[in-house]
Amino acid sequence: MIPPFAYVRARSIDEAVALLARPESRPAAGATDLIGCLRDEVFTAKAVVSLGGIEAMTGIAETADGGLRIGALTSLTTIVKHALVAGRYPALAQAAASVASPQLRNQGTLGGNLCQRPRCWFFRGGYDCARKAGDTCYAMQGDNRYHCVFGGSTCLIVHPSDTATALTALDAIVSIAGPKGTRSVPIQQFFVLPEKDMTHENVLAPGELVTTISLPAPRAGLVSVYRKARARASWDFALAACAAAITIEQGKVTAARIVLGAAAPIPWRVEGAERMLIGRRLDEPTRARVAAAALNGATPLEHNAYKVAMLRGVVSEALGSIG
Amino acid sequence: MICNDVALEGVELEAALAEALNTPTGTADIPAWTDTKVVGQRLPKIDAYERVSGTAVYPSDITLPGMLHAAVLRCPHGHARVKKLDASRAAKMPGVRAVLTPESPGADIPWYPGEKGYVSRLLDTHCRFAGDEIAAVAADTPYQAFDAVRAIVVEYEVLPNVVGLDAALAPNAPAVLDGPTNRAGDPRAQGRGDVAAGFAAAEVTVEGTYSTGTQLHVPIELHGAVVRWDGPKLVAWDSLQGVFPAQNTYARALALPLSNVRVIGHYMGGGFGSKLDTGKYGVIAALLAKQAARPVRLFMTREDTMRAIGNRPAVRMTVKLGAKKDGTLTAIDFSCTGSGGAYSAGGTGGVNWLPLDLYRCPNVNTVSTNVYIHAGPERPFRGPGHPQGAWALEQAMDTLAAKLGMDPVALRLKNVPDISQGRQDQARYTSTGLATCLTEGAKTFGWTEARARVPQAGPVRRGVGVAAGMWRGGGGSPPATIIVRLVADGTASVNMGASDIGNGTKTWAAMIVAEELGVPVDRIGIEHADTATTQYTGASGGSKTVPTEAPAIRAAAIEVKRQLLALAAADLKVDATALSIADGAVFVTADPSKRIVIRQFRPLAQRGVLVGVGVRGPDTHGMAVNPWGVHFAEVEVDTRTGLVRIQRYLAAQDSGKVMNRLTYDNQVIGAITMGQGLALTEDRIMDAAHTGRVLNANMHDYKVPTALDAVVAPVIVAVDPKDTTCNIAATKGLGEPATIPAAAAIANAVAHALGVRVVDAPISPQRVLDALAAPRTPAKGVRS
Ligand SMILES: Cc1cc2nc3c(=O)[nH]c(=O)nc-3n(C[C@H](O)[C@H](O)[C@H](O)COP(=O)(O)OP(=O)(O)OC[C@H]3O[C@@H](n4cnc5c(N)ncnc54)[C@H](O)[C@@H]3O)c2cc1C
Repeated sequence: MIPPFAYVRARSIDEAVALLARPESRPAAGATDLIGCLRDEVFTAKAVVSLGGIEAMTGIAETADGGLRIGALTSLTTIVKHALVAGRYPALAQAAASVASPQLRNQGTLGGNLCQRPRCWFFRGGYDCARKAGDTCYAMQGDNRYHCVFGGSTCLIVHPSDTATALTALDAIVSIAGPKGTRSVPIQQFFVLPEKDMTHENVLAPGELVTTISLPAPRAGLVSVYRKARARASWDFALAACAAAITIEQGKVTAARIVLGAAAPIPWRVEGAERMLIGRRLDEPTRARVAAAALNGATPLEHNAYKVAMLRGVVSEALGSIG
Repeated sequence: MICNDVALEGVELEAALAEALNTPTGTADIPAWTDTKVVGQRLPKIDAYERVSGTAVYPSDITLPGMLHAAVLRCPHGHARVKKLDASRAAKMPGVRAVLTPESPGADIPWYPGEKGYVSRLLDTHCRFAGDEIAAVAADTPYQAFDAVRAIVVEYEVLPNVVGLDAALAPNAPAVLDGPTNRAGDPRAQGRGDVAAGFAAAEVTVEGTYSTGTQLHVPIELHGAVVRWDGPKLVAWDSLQGVFPAQNTYARALALPLSNVRVIGHYMGGGFGSKLDTGKYGVIAALLAKQAARPVRLFMTREDTMRAIGNRPAVRMTVKLGAKKDGTLTAIDFSCTGSGGAYSAGGTGGVNWLPLDLYRCPNVNTVSTNVYIHAGPERPFRGPGHPQGAWALEQAMDTLAAKLGMDPVALRLKNVPDISQGRQDQARYTSTGLATCLTEGAKTFGWTEARARVPQAGPVRRGVGVAAGMWRGGGGSPPATIIVRLVADGTASVNMGASDIGNGTKTWAAMIVAEELGVPVDRIGIEHADTATTQYTGASGGSKTVPTEAPAIRAAAIEVKRQLLALAAADLKVDATALSIADGAVFVTADPSKRIVIRQFRPLAQRGVLVGVGVRGPDTHGMAVNPWGVHFAEVEVDTRTGLVRIQRYLAAQDSGKVMNRLTYDNQVIGAITMGQGLALTEDRIMDAAHTGRVLNANMHDYKVPTALDAVVAPVIVAVDPKDTTCNIAATKGLGEPATIPAAAAIANAVAHALGVRVVDAPISPQRVLDALAAPRTPAKGVRS
């Protein structure tokens, strides 16, 4: 069913980078998304390079400054169960816990979750669409009930990752290794809109790998939360999601991140709404105003006007669970 | 499957015939069960261990020496003609042993019967839905077969497709079949009385429009078969609800005598109506096997089952009800439009039955319109048409209750029928549990208190709803022939043609024999679902298996008992009427010390076997046998996200005598879950704008409720009207009636919670939010 490919296990990051330099080589972490993509012919692979044996890419460690370094190969289940994650960055723990099903969380990794391909049913359904370098986005005319309300242009996907939304609210840093060495980018610069690059969801160049995801030390008073609305209670991608990371000092908000999920081709930060919180108490009127403002500028498509209300709903739920 | 008039008349004919036959071991002289000791208990399935441990051999587990694996090429377009097909490269690929194209012998077997003969062929060059079969390959491994299918080069002429009801009926719509219009025949009118007069006499009327989505069966075991030729004989292990209909299909398609076709289906992993018969897959496998002279395994992919092997059609309905101020119905006007896909005119089959039969009403008019679209054909699905009809009728009844200022349960109680008004002969029901289901259900659920509870403030709203239903089938009917054997060691076996579709057929069959023969359930073996070794019976569908097989099993067991008692009476030198059987022994009722342990009974050992044949007797003449049910749901709706959670659920069912309370409850739980899917999440979505493909032909975009969604511990009230008229097992069908009111009950609860009615299924978060955003009119969509 899947066209034949070579399978190699890399033992180190360097070896993986070398192996991935060959044409049509794809990294496999948990392979829960990779297999589906190959089977649905979203892309092809001549070689699949398993990252599974790379020790340096697993595990969660506390950094000297009190932050966390999470290896890209760390399973979502490990993240969910990790006391420091749950204690300091509950939004990430909640986002990871909301992914798919227990089996998929055992197998799926954080790096794979960030790098998974979109779930657009045209992209996945054998359509030669814009994201596959075809000339049309089928969601423009077709059934776009699950597509974006922000950031769409020539392609209308939403980013599928739950953890990406949470990590964006938490100001994570993504470390990358590749043929030209290593680099680190703030997660907000990791994801790209279709107007910048129509066929990739992130800045990874061919042969590049995500090696670690780092979280800065939580400021005193940081509270974070992830809310996900989906049609089923399990085994379902978000219809609308919100990650909020709010710092409250002496009863007032001093820093705020509000990020919408399943809203745009990338995790969608709503800075205007964030600014409205600064210096205020998180009371009900403020929450309502901010939730409404979060959707300013949304441009729903023919079949997804409901998403505006729903996203507003999850923002107000998220803020409500903090305030 | 009993879902249209023709079939129903057929059943009556059967009964007359069976009555005329002088069956030696019929059920005529046997009084119906009243109290039973074993039957009705809560027993785990006798094959539960095999099923959960993986030792049960399902058709998809069969491997035969030399077996090949097949894959099918399907059309990716909603409508296309194959201009050129080149399989030459595929045929030469490693491992490929057989290739079938539209040119191959046998590919022209007529397929899909229409009004004037068959409308398509096994492998057709005119493809009328995305998923239509074009070619097939058998190879040494599944991967080789799939690779070879991919290597077949097809040049298509892509034709315009139409997958929506309105679009299909538009003047210049592309023709699906070669008729003048995509309407499948004239709209069919059925009814009684004078509807106009009924509305004139009404003091209150309500009218509304409702729709349901297309629901897919999604059985866990895929559709498929392993087939092997044994000289001129074909043997097929096929995942089916009935081996005999499939025997027929294989024989017809391949021009074989019935006696040269053996179909075996010991285990099967779910069907819900989609496996009443084999499909193209079975015949394709047989042709490939013939070509390759090797056994062939052909199981469809999950995606292909979702495109091509059946669905519960989406239906659009309007209902107008008229009633007196006291709630007495005076008129029902109902119309429905649906599509059975590209090849079936059965888009609205069964949809009008509840408007015709559920409530007492002298004036009823129903009109059913069927439309062809470029989509996979429907197949019967758990209570065909009924959940859709209930969706409309039961929401309309709720709206009527509101307008009358009446309690919804009271309104329904006001209109309980005792004769089947939908049937030509106006037959009396042998039992109508509707009123009891309503009252017992309401009491146990705490309906009045829950309904009266003041809605809480805040974004999460709570509501309760009720809906009633009945199933047009569920009475069972001849034919069924059962053989029960008692052998030397005191164990027994049941030989029956019926498939166990997961409802515990084998288990209650054993329980019935245990009841009559006193042999413990775990000492009873079952042979079943094999056309070569068991006797003809229809497919396990229409909720007919229990009411069809149970009486015959009982009759066969009683016949064995008669023989055993005769032998024992001779041995003990008493009259047979003085004897009883219990716990593996025959004893003198008045003096239990005079006993024979059956497994040590010499005369039995010498004979080796006692054989009893039981035949399903005719139905009670001129009476209707129907199961009933009423469901109550309590839901929470989050008005911020539109998400609906079912908090509490109760199902009250009248299916007559309970065979096994555990498998009974399991049936009801599964049926509720399926109704929940129809109500809230399940909906086949087609790419109407472009290709006509199913966009969500996979298990995460097509949303069957998960274990976390399913109702936790629903309360199940088994109402037993002690129906000694329906059959000697005093029992009726359950699997279908239990799903019929479910979706409507949930819809009514959502409407109660929101004060706004979502009239289209599924009630997705999208629809809830859209309904909340729309200008507020109470009971949206229902004009009065
Ligand atoms: C049924 C189902 C339901 C799902 N539901 C959800 C959901 O609700 N929410 C959600 O967020 N996700 C969901 N997923 C998506 C996803 O499979 C998992 O979330 C998982 O985390 C992916 O991790 P993985 O290690 O298996 O990734 P893989 O499949 O191994 O990789 C995914 C992609 O990223 C690439 N990749 C992997 N690791 C790296 C790396 N370190 N650097 C660069 N590229 C890399 C791979 O080449 C591949 O293209 C679902 C998947 C399935 C099959």
